[in-house]
Amino acid sequence: MRYHQAWVVALGALLAAAPAAAEPGVTDTEILIGGSNSFSGPLAFTGEQITKGGVELYLRVVNDAGGIHGRKVRTLWYDDAYRPQDAVANTKKLVEQDKVFAIIIPQGSPPVVATLDYLEEQKVPLLFPYQSSPVTRGKRWIFQGMTVSDRSSKMMIDYLAGRRKFKKFAALYQDDEYGKSFLTAFEKDLGRHGLKLGAAESVKRGVTDVSAQVAKLQATKPDVTFLVLVPGPAAQALKERQKIGWSDTLMVSTGPLTDERYLALAGEAAEGVEGLSLWPDPATSDRPGVKLYREHMQKYAPRNEPNRYSMAGYFAGMLFAEAAKRAGTNLTRESLIAALEGIKGWESGILPPLTIGPDHETQKQGFWVRVEKGRFKPVTDWLKGE
Amino acid sequence: MRRAALALGLVALLAWPWASPRYFVFLASLSVVNAIVAIGLNLLSGYTNQLSFGHAGFLAVGAYTAALVTTRWPDTPIVVTLAVAALVTGLVGLGLGVPCLRLEGLYLAMATLAFGFVVVEAIMNLDWLTRGNDGLRVPAARLGPWALQSDTARYYLVVAVGVVMVWAALNLARTRTGRALLAIRESEIAAQASGVHLARYKTLAFAISAVYTGVAGGLFAFVVGFLSPDAFDVFLSVDYVAMIIVGGLGSVPGSIAGAALLTVLNDSLAGFQSYRPLIFGTLLILSLLFMPGGVARAFRFLKGEQG
Repeated sequence: MRYHQAWVVALGALLAAAPAAAEPGVTDTEILIGGSNSFSGPLAFTGEQITKGGVELYLRVVNDAGGIHGRKVRTLWYDDAYRPQDAVANTKKLVEQDKVFAIIIPQGSPPVVATLDYLEEQKVPLLFPYQSSPVTRGKRWIFQGMTVSDRSSKMMIDYLAGRRKFKKFAALYQDDEYGKSFLTAFEKDLGRHGLKLGAAESVKRGVTDVSAQVAKLQATKPDVTFLVLVPGPAAQALKERQKIGWSDTLMVSTGPLTDERYLALAGEAAEGVEGLSLWPDPATSDRPGVKLYREHMQKYAPRNEPNRYSMAGYFAGMLFAEAAKRAGTNLTRESLIAALEGIKGWESGILPPLTIGPDHETQKQGFWVRVEKGRFKPVTDWLKGE
Repeated sequence: MRRAALALGLVALLAWPWASPRYFVFLASLSVVNAIVAIGLNLLSGYTNQLSFGHAGFLAVGAYTAALVTTRWPDTPIVVTLAVAALVTGLVGLGLGVPCLRLEGLYLAMATLAFGFVVVEAIMNLDWLTRGNDGLRVPAARLGPWALQSDTARYYLVVAVGVVMVWAALNLARTRTGRALLAIRESEIAAQASGVHLARYKTLAFAISAVYTGVAGGLFAFVVGFLSPDAFDVFLSVDYVAMIIVGGLGSVPGSIAGAALLTVLNDSLAGFQSYRPLIFGTLLILSLLFMPGGVARAFRFLKGEQG
């Protein structure tokens, strides 16, 4: 009988203790987050920069200042080499074996999409995936990282057709989700201005010779030619245009394309190209957050150089830390989501004041730039994406 | 003794999802899928000396076939889906086997390597069918009234199919075809002299190998749940070659051991991030240097038999 009672007491104690210890990845002294990313394979540089060069950079600042409510943030990264099956394996391992609190900044549409349903089902927050397709919309546990294509399109068309009064548009786009989602959005937004997309030519991913497409687009004489590509073929398109002396069109690059690698590849052929920039220039901007980013890099990773990828990761770390701080001492996955949804007019010093709300998008604005002497020069202030 | 070991192994396989952490159930499924590919590749390379660097291509054909069948006709029983995947991949294997007959060694390796690239390109360009680079979500497999939605359910499916495939491979050696393949492995000239039609059996080996890989591809689609051309890069083909070399050429148990070993190794190295390929490669070279006959030979050596 006494033996029996002891069991009941033990069981009761166990049950009472259970809820307190429940949240995976969170202890009194530590928060564990992580992600699967490209550390080898085609996008290894980006992967390295957004995770170790970015998220970790900011978290070292936070940890050195005492952590978040006394908890230091630890990160765990696994390599998926851009293969979806490895991304699935890594994500399952992070959730089930390592018991991370949240997944942060995984890269690229295929690896991210492969894990979406699983994470939503397991109720694990997926924070700021580094890809621009809108497939992440409408999910409770997912907060989109990059500016989604239809928002970018709205900013671009309103600026070009509204403010600059251009009439004839054409596009050279990558033949996949990224390219097509922009194309659909362009058509819709041009329609609002009573215009339409005159011509569109597609480029398969991995192809570098785009001369045929460029020639066809030239024949349609557009005022504006959109480049919805990745740096390699986009630089090729600019060089081709220079070669055939096609100068009476304005080349405009989309947000995901407007980065330093694209400029480096295109060289002087990029002069005069315009585009939507989603980030202030990491090396020269004097916005307070960007200056701080450079200072932190100087202090913790002096051998690295400022770049957009590392800044995107730095921003992701910053946003996570802000939400975890707001979620309070009783940090749970639920309270993190609520904190993120509650962010209003938050000043990061890097991007304009951010309000997240129920759409779960963390980046909604960009500004117009023109390439002058090999750098992006801002032409406008932040444009509206809503 | 042998039977007892076999029974013990089966019990361990069946009990695995209940005895191990959840993640290892998924990892075990992946290992079994890879083991089926490795056995298939070994039937080709170990038996007829035709080394293939294009098996990721066969895997892709099987995976996309299964995924498309299930997307179009969601009620198809899994057995039928896998059979269709096996058939389609087998035909592709036959198609590749014929032109490869004239090629040997390095040239054959290059042809199969090219085949792997062609398949990936085809997936990208047939985007009306495969959704190209955006990738394809694979619905859950169905077995009668059940949808196999949990890792455990998929594990049992994979194990059941795996057992059948292993059994068939072990017994292949006793059939006329198997004997012919073994004869070709020992000496092509001797085999031909004893009446083995070289061209026919070498092509057949390609087809059988493709059928194995096609079945594995179907299972792969369901285990991973998402396909994109990025999944089937050339490094995956190299991984399969590494599996049979580490495991032991021409050995079914060796294929299984090699596949399990490399799957687990690949997974546990994910945490080393950019150093992963370096460590993986070093281990591979070391095992080639010190264990040239693979795990199978090393095991026999330990048991005191002559390798």
